[in-house]
Amino acid sequence: MNIRRVFAMAFKETLQVWRDPRSLAIALLMPVMQMVMLGYGVSLDIKHVPLCVYDQENSQESRAIVERFTAPGWFSISQTLVSEADLRNAMDRGECSMAIVIPVDFSRTLATTGSAPIQAIFDATDVNTTNIALGYAQGTVAQANAQTSAQWKAAHGVHPSPVGQVDVEPSTWFNETLDSRNFIIPGVVAVILALVGAQLTSLTISREWERGTMEQLISTPVTALEVMLGKLMPYFLIGLLDAAFCLVSAVYWFDVPFRGSLGTLFVTTVLFLIVVLGIGYLISVRIRSQLGASQIALLVTMLPTTLLSGYTFPIEQMPAPIQAITLIVYPRYYVTILRAIFLKGSSLPDLWAPLLGLFIFALIIIWLATRAFHKRLD
Amino acid sequence: MFERLSVMLMKEFLELKRDRWAMFRLIVPLIIQVLVFGYAATFTVYHVPTAILDLDQSQASRNLISHFVATGRFDVVDVATTQNALTRDIDHDQAVLAIVIHAGFNQDLENGRRAPLQVIVDGTNSNTALIALGYINQIIAQFSADQSGHAAPFRAGPAMPVTGISLQTRTWFNEGLDDRWFFIPGVIGTLTLLQVVSLTAFAIVREREVGTLEQIMVSPIRPFEFILGKTIPFFLIGLGDIALVSAIGILWFHIPFVGSFWVMLLGASLFLLAVLGMGLLLSTFSRTQQQAFALNFFFVNPFFILSGFAFPIAAMPTFLQWFTVINPLRYFLVVIRAVFLKGVGLAVLWPDLAMMALLAFLMLTISVLRFRKSLD
Amino acid sequence: MTMVEPAIIIQGLTKRFQDFTAVDHLDLTINQGEIVGFIGPNGAGKSTTIRMLCGLLQPTEGQAFVAGFNVGRQPEAVREHIGYMSQKFSLYGDLTVRENLRFFGGLYRVPRHDRGERMAFAIAMAGLAGREDVLVRTLASGWKQRLALGCAILHRPPVLFLDEPTSGVEPEARRQFWDLIHELAAGGVTTLVSTHYMDEAEYCNRVALINRGKLVAIGSPSELRGHQLGGELFEMDCAPLGAALKVLTDVPGVEEAAIFGDKLHIVLSAGGITAGDLPGFLGARGIHADPPRRVTPSLEDVFVHLVSGSHETRGAF
Repeated sequence: MNIRRVFAMAFKETLQVWRDPRSLAIALLMPVMQMVMLGYGVSLDIKHVPLCVYDQENSQESRAIVERFTAPGWFSISQTLVSEADLRNAMDRGECSMAIVIPVDFSRTLATTGSAPIQAIFDATDVNTTNIALGYAQGTVAQANAQTSAQWKAAHGVHPSPVGQVDVEPSTWFNETLDSRNFIIPGVVAVILALVGAQLTSLTISREWERGTMEQLISTPVTALEVMLGKLMPYFLIGLLDAAFCLVSAVYWFDVPFRGSLGTLFVTTVLFLIVVLGIGYLISVRIRSQLGASQIALLVTMLPTTLLSGYTFPIEQMPAPIQAITLIVYPRYYVTILRAIFLKGSSLPDLWAPLLGLFIFALIIIWLATRAFHKRLD
Repeated sequence: MFERLSVMLMKEFLELKRDRWAMFRLIVPLIIQVLVFGYAATFTVYHVPTAILDLDQSQASRNLISHFVATGRFDVVDVATTQNALTRDIDHDQAVLAIVIHAGFNQDLENGRRAPLQVIVDGTNSNTALIALGYINQIIAQFSADQSGHAAPFRAGPAMPVTGISLQTRTWFNEGLDDRWFFIPGVIGTLTLLQVVSLTAFAIVREREVGTLEQIMVSPIRPFEFILGKTIPFFLIGLGDIALVSAIGILWFHIPFVGSFWVMLLGASLFLLAVLGMGLLLSTFSRTQQQAFALNFFFVNPFFILSGFAFPIAAMPTFLQWFTVINPLRYFLVVIRAVFLKGVGLAVLWPDLAMMALLAFLMLTISVLRFRKSLD
Repeated sequence: MTMVEPAIIIQGLTKRFQDFTAVDHLDLTINQGEIVGFIGPNGAGKSTTIRMLCGLLQPTEGQAFVAGFNVGRQPEAVREHIGYMSQKFSLYGDLTVRENLRFFGGLYRVPRHDRGERMAFAIAMAGLAGREDVLVRTLASGWKQRLALGCAILHRPPVLFLDEPTSGVEPEARRQFWDLIHELAAGGVTTLVSTHYMDEAEYCNRVALINRGKLVAIGSPSELRGHQLGGELFEMDCAPLGAALKVLTDVPGVEEAAIFGDKLHIVLSAGGITAGDLPGFLGARGIHADPPRRVTPSLEDVFVHLVSGSHETRGAF
């Protein structure tokens, strides 16, 4: 291997990237756009869930209960209903994800028998929102009851119920506020790097084939390894730039807590970039048309990365065969690594398993890419 | 006009027929994607790796643990004996949830005190954590009810508030809370969008690149005749896609289809027109297939992410919510989910259908107008 | 429009792309049944002019009438009356010969009763009888060109625009192609054909030389040869060629000097150095030269003369 030939390659490639506005736009604009879109768009937080209230009693007590539901800002009342038909209608139109029905004799029943039902109806079309809202509604009611019983105790000097109740005292670690952004943004960074990185390099060899410069190139004494190193070098720098941009905006713009060390972050990111750029390069070596290469790069990155990397859909909850497939979805390792570095402050030894995964990938790809590049025209 | 249109159509179908791999490329990735999507896209928390530290070792604590195990959602991965062991489980991703039953739990309950239950949750995946906490709330509500149920007769005390408010929950439209019912209809719209937009954009740009577009444009054909000829086949392919993916959803994933076939067909047609308009519009901005590809990548991903497919639009910041107004997929997802799960009709869905019709009209008009210019 | 009207009238036709002027106030009139060749270097504005005449591009300035219709305002009417063949082969490779013909026949709405006959004619003309069901992409380039021409004339257009129709076609096939165009012209079809093969210009009734978007000269090949050089053309063997070219550049009376193969072409105007003086003049400067022979200029000579601007870029061709 001759380092001068590598640099000659790298210099030429840098000039070409610089003079090709489309590539440059993909390289620099894409991460910004995707970061804004995914960073803001991909949120599982339960905010402003439309709530309908059918308060048949409309007493002070019933209004107090409704108040409990709306106070923290998870739900906002979209409609106040006045009949069963209204309720059905609003649910059909999807105008409320949850409806609370308070019966007409609510406060009287509560006062006389010590217990009274209220009804919570969910539009379970969106199961995730329903699940979270359901848990939240249970919690709200439990809280209300605890408060009532505390007041009772204060008034009567004894606990109200014949048997003690259990109070759940949850404490949340690593992502204390349970903000979905803290969970999703590190994943978004991984996804963006995976998508943009593969696009960047996927065109680099096929472009030479299409423009006919490849014939010229392979008539020189340059070796396969030199071509690869030279071609990947500028993209590697762009990739680092993109990674830096994404990571900085994750911390300073999206306020994701960063508890790990920069060193760990740098080492793992470099390893991931090698894999990502290598995949693009490999595709590019195998497929001689730019369009084909670009399409394949998208096909093997976009949907698998979006769906199977665990950045939104937890891998642990998938059926076993799908979990097995995710082993080859390389961004999943980086998603795990980034999350752990950001939220748990993990160091390299803690991350040995995903690092091993990435490392194996890097080796296989480099091996395949150097083997696949033949200095022949046919 | 019918003659020119019909020769256009005949040409398109002949080319499609000649392309031996076309059918394969159209159908196989679609089927694979539906299956993978169908199984992978789930927010349901089926099992929560749980560590338990029972410092009470009493009848009540064992009873509580069995309440957890009985749901089938909590996998007890470690019965710890010290707080440290519990902490380690969470730190090393062995457990997502840890439950600490303190010594005296039983006694608190016996004495009618409120017994605290410490729960530690790994909040890294906020969604899983929230859902797990929700499960715990439900289990505790059940546990408390059971406790009071069999303990009440033996105890004396003030007769007043026993349980307080009880929450009766109903889940409509998807009683089993199966989130495939939510995702699969979404998959139908999403995959159709991905496929039809790129097919349309590429088909026209390819004619431009090869030079056949110029040859056609010097003939007396009108731009809308050409565009119709180009898009009708993709419209049919799109309908085929929707039918195929729906069939897989209904037959393989057992998603109920309670609505009207005709409403679905209307919704699908309007959606396809809007999507075809999008593809055409992209094609008028591209000189080469490469540019079409880049544009496709640039736009389709946002349309997919910002459609409500998985992430509720209500939770997005306002500027992104405004962006979703021009996203046909957003409306189609409302329609398709409502038709599958709710069985509602035009009376309810007309605003979404009207928005799709408006978008289709706008995009098709703009692309026909731009198409004339794009030769310059 | 009566029959004696010119088939194509171009008046001050101009096309600008941003700050680049591709076609600059072009004027040209082409009569019915004429074959006019458009000659010029790459980027001279040939294709842009043809595309404007086909209604594919909107003129920035000026106007043009094809078969009596204004190309800027009535592009659809123009399209009914023209056949067009672009420099890039543009039939559908994945359709057969017959399917392509049927497709274009349908686009032009060739009447049903006429269609069979027209298709048979196009197939016979292209020499593709018996190969009607062959996929077009498998044909050799010469066949493809003739088939493209067949498609372009299916609807019997009175005007044909051919944009470098023979680029990439082997000489024998080019020859046959031109025979076809002459047959069509004999039937009254007006043809505007662009090419950068000099020898093809000789097949045209008139040749229009354009350079940098402007019309430089127009006339029949013999007219151009006779009047455009501004002097008489001589051919001379000399060695070394390069040195001779350099020496002659500034000699009074030498209008132009250029290397043609292994010889030197020199245009001499009256009143300067004469042909007989040349060998001595060169010999005195150490260059061996045979006596020059008077030759008839080829179109290429005229072309070089006109395009090179004759005084600055002498010897560029």
